[in-house]
Amino acid sequence: MNNHVRDLRGERGWSQADLAERLEVSRQTVNAIETGKYDPSLPLAFRIARLFGRPIEAIFQPEPGGPGEG
Amino acid sequence: MSRFDERQYRRRLSLAMVAYMAAMLLVWPLSRTVGSVPLKVVLAVVPVLPMLYVIGLMARRIGASDEFEQRVHLLALGAATALLGALSLIGGFLAAAGVAPLDGSILIWVFPVVMLAYGAARWWLLVRHYGGSAACEDDGALVWRLLLLAGLMLMVVGVAWWRGGLDDFQTGLLFGMAPGVLALAAWIVWRLARRRASGR
Repeated sequence: MNNHVRDLRGERGWSQADLAERLEVSRQTVNAIETGKYDPSLPLAFRIARLFGRPIEAIFQPEPGGPGEG
Repeated sequence: MSRFDERQYRRRLSLAMVAYMAAMLLVWPLSRTVGSVPLKVVLAVVPVLPMLYVIGLMARRIGASDEFEQRVHLLALGAATALLGALSLIGGFLAAAGVAPLDGSILIWVFPVVMLAYGAARWWLLVRHYGGSAACEDDGALVWRLLLLAGLMLMVVGVAWWRGGLDDFQTGLLFGMAPGVLALAAWIVWRLARRRASGR
């Protein structure tokens, strides 16, 4: 899964710790999501989408050729 | 769910470890000398009480983790269980074949082996696999571990001094903890040196 969490966080000038606090998760969790090494659950993905004021599919996209694509 | 307070966790874990060591040094040896079987049973299992508290503490810590942390905790516990299962099978077959004379007291090592394997697997997952940094990697946590181990060693020496000499059990405890203290101290020094070199 690809995502734009790092870009959206950067636009707001937040650190990983800031975002983690807003989402009530650890900084490690934010780092793992941003680097694409961990795909969040639907509830957490919705929290992220709500926080950035974007639809969920504008933040998370399946990798080209991966499961759920095409 | 509120995030788990790591400082509080460390403080409680430290107290539990001190209680465990005190029970091992002062109470458990009595179980070998008393004649009454019920009293022997009670004295023998006293050190388990702080460890049960530690297990409960860990369960609360994992329960209060977020979804990613829980995944890491559970993967690490799964790896530790698999390792313990494999070691138990090997030891069990060797003992049954009469190759390795293992008795029931080896069960004391089950919990420490699980904890060590869990810690190592968690570190590997967080740092190597997910590319982050383990909470236990913080300098504060490392120094806390070093101080705790050193404090426990001092406790053993203090009890030995009070009793007029080291017995085999206390010597074993000291030799068991000394590599941990040395390894932690070396790790902290290496991290400081690396940070200093990268800061130039």
